[in-house]
Amino acid sequence: MKMIKRHDFSAIMTHWLVALSTFTLFFTGFVQLPVAKRYFISTLPGLSWSADYSFTLKLHYLAAAVLTFALFFHLASKIITRDFDLWPRRGDIRESYLIIKSLITKKPEPPSDKYLAEQRLAYAYMAFNFLLIVLTGMIKVYKNLPGISLNPKLVWLATTLHNISSFLLGLGIFAHLLAFILFRENRNLIPSMFTGKVSLEYAEHRHPLWLKRIKNNDNDQQERSQIFKQQIFDEG
Amino acid sequence: MQQKKMSRREFLRKSLIAGAAGAVALHAKPSHASPNTQKKYAMMIDLTKCTGCESCVLACREENRHKFPEPVHPIPVNWPTGKYDDWSDKREVRDRLTPYNWTIVQTVEILRNGQIEKINIPRHCMHCDNPPCANLCPFGANTQTPEGAVVIDDSSCLGGAKCQAVCPWGIPQRQGGVGLYMKIAPGLLGGGVMYKCDFCHHRLTAGKVPACVESCPNGAITFGTKEEIIKLARERAKEINGYIYGDKENGGTSVLYVSHIPFSEINEALIKQGAGDKKSGKPAMPTFTDNPSDAPEHLVKSLALAPLAGLLTAGITAYKTFTREGSKHEND
Ligand code: HEM
Ligand code: HEM
Ligand code: SF4
Ligand code: SF4
Ligand code: SF4
Repeated sequence: MKMIKRHDFSAIMTHWLVALSTFTLFFTGFVQLPVAKRYFISTLPGLSWSADYSFTLKLHYLAAAVLTFALFFHLASKIITRDFDLWPRRGDIRESYLIIKSLITKKPEPPSDKYLAEQRLAYAYMAFNFLLIVLTGMIKVYKNLPGISLNPKLVWLATTLHNISSFLLGLGIFAHLLAFILFRENRNLIPSMFTGKVSLEYAEHRHPLWLKRIKNNDNDQQERSQIFKQQIFDEG
Repeated sequence: MQQKKMSRREFLRKSLIAGAAGAVALHAKPSHASPNTQKKYAMMIDLTKCTGCESCVLACREENRHKFPEPVHPIPVNWPTGKYDDWSDKREVRDRLTPYNWTIVQTVEILRNGQIEKINIPRHCMHCDNPPCANLCPFGANTQTPEGAVVIDDSSCLGGAKCQAVCPWGIPQRQGGVGLYMKIAPGLLGGGVMYKCDFCHHRLTAGKVPACVESCPNGAITFGTKEEIIKLARERAKEINGYIYGDKENGGTSVLYVSHIPFSEINEALIKQGAGDKKSGKPAMPTFTDNPSDAPEHLVKSLALAPLAGLLTAGITAYKTFTREGSKHEND
């Protein structure tokens, strides 16, 4: 099967660093709420540490550092290489409606660029929540430092926004995974987050605009100086 | 500016006198200073002077009665533990902290030089410098005021009791059937509102010293600015060749105890009589300095450096990619 290169190593690393740290943050953040004892989570085998606020807070800090690193790396890389493939565009809302409609009705969908319109929207949604979480999280960390006490209203605001954006992000990630579970068509993308490559046949019929862009080489994207052929791999 | 300074100094002087002599004549109010210039207050409790008369306990109760919970009955049973907290029909209880009893006097007997000595210890919230109960409240309902008082907001507390779990002394106490959780999912989430000594915050902002300070007939409690009280406690400890508790505990607090008997011995005696369990409402006096909301320095540092590290790595990666691509073209 012919494959085409879709993600480079650093994109794959970033994705999994974000995913790993975010899952850790969800769990260690969730048990910052007084739930581990109340709902007997800490009585489950291997989870007795979940009621230890001091320990789970340290894990939360550690995962937060990993997440913050990955997010800043991602943003800076994309800006330096002028890779705005994931940035939402005008008309994305209508287009993603059309795509989802055709996924359900099994009709041909509008041709897509490297990412589907709903992927770009999902990205913006996640990026917004991530930024809010990191910003409010930093405020929370700052106020915990000895000798620092912030205005109670600011503390309340940061805490409440931290909680709300965590919840919204959770919904987003749920939808992200649901997109693979519900629609077989999307599952073609999964190998790309592991090997960096995706089936050429799939790309040809679903992402024709992307392929055209690489072929014409008329853009200043990451692929700018690479020729189309270099990105095609014949894997049996 | 000049005026403000004057009046605050006067307030202090008078509050110190008030603490020592029970004087009530406080005309000067603490000026409405901005949070940055507002001085933090503290109290010194002199265990050599406390007789255990409990005047402070009764005064606290009178003064703060208007803040006590009035729950609706029946109080929802918390799922899945099957428990709930109700102190509303046990308001007189005085031998432990409860939502209706924010201060207690503990008594221990300690054998010294072949003689039994009785020590009375008034106990309430320590108003920690870096309060874990407030720092770690997941709803921002518990905060430290510019005066240094740690205050729980009864309108936003959900009663998860995390503050009690992270308080080294287990101070905050829960009453079910009141507060925000009643409007969300009573029985399923939260469990009431947490109550504790608030340093008589309403009095501090009105230029008065806390009720317990004023009520003590033996001048066992002295109130003033943090600096003043620390100085005073050191002097007093020197004078009696004694010890201070609360200056270093949990990273430092605003309630300093002075005693001629080592606090390790007092702690031992307290634990022997059942104090120290977080849920008992009877705090012990462990000697320790670390604070559960202080993350280790290296964690905080890596967090502070994470954005920079991300930017740098992106720069280096991009540079490598560009130069690699460049050389590729030359070879073509
Ligand atoms: C905290 C968890 C995660 C976050 C925040 C996250 C975030 C993202 C984002 C923002 C994208 C970019 C475009 C898009 O929205 O599709 C993406 C792509 C992707 N994610 Fe995740 N993800 C997470 C977990 C996972 C997991 C568990 C899987 C496993 C199936 C997965 C598989 C993928 C794949 C295959 C892509 C590539 C799609 C493409 O190439 O177009 N992600 N992810
Ligand atoms: C996906 C990322 C994250 C999720 C889902 C998440 C979730 C949560 C949740 C549910 C809580 C408990 C409720 C609360 O105290 O507000 C919490 C607490 C906390 N979070 Fe996060 N969080 C995330 C990222 C971060 C980051 C990046 C930081 C720091 C930069 C951070 C710092 C904190 C701190 C310090 C607390 C403890 C409570 C406090 O000190 O105020 N979190 N988090
Ligand atoms: S003594 Fe306990 S309740 Fe009081 S401020 Fe310190 S941690 Fe909070
Ligand atoms: S400071 Fe006020 S609230 Fe605290 S124990 Fe004394 S009287 Fe009670
Ligand atoms: S009023 Fe004074 S002497 Fe009486 S118990 Fe309280 S601190 Fe001790």
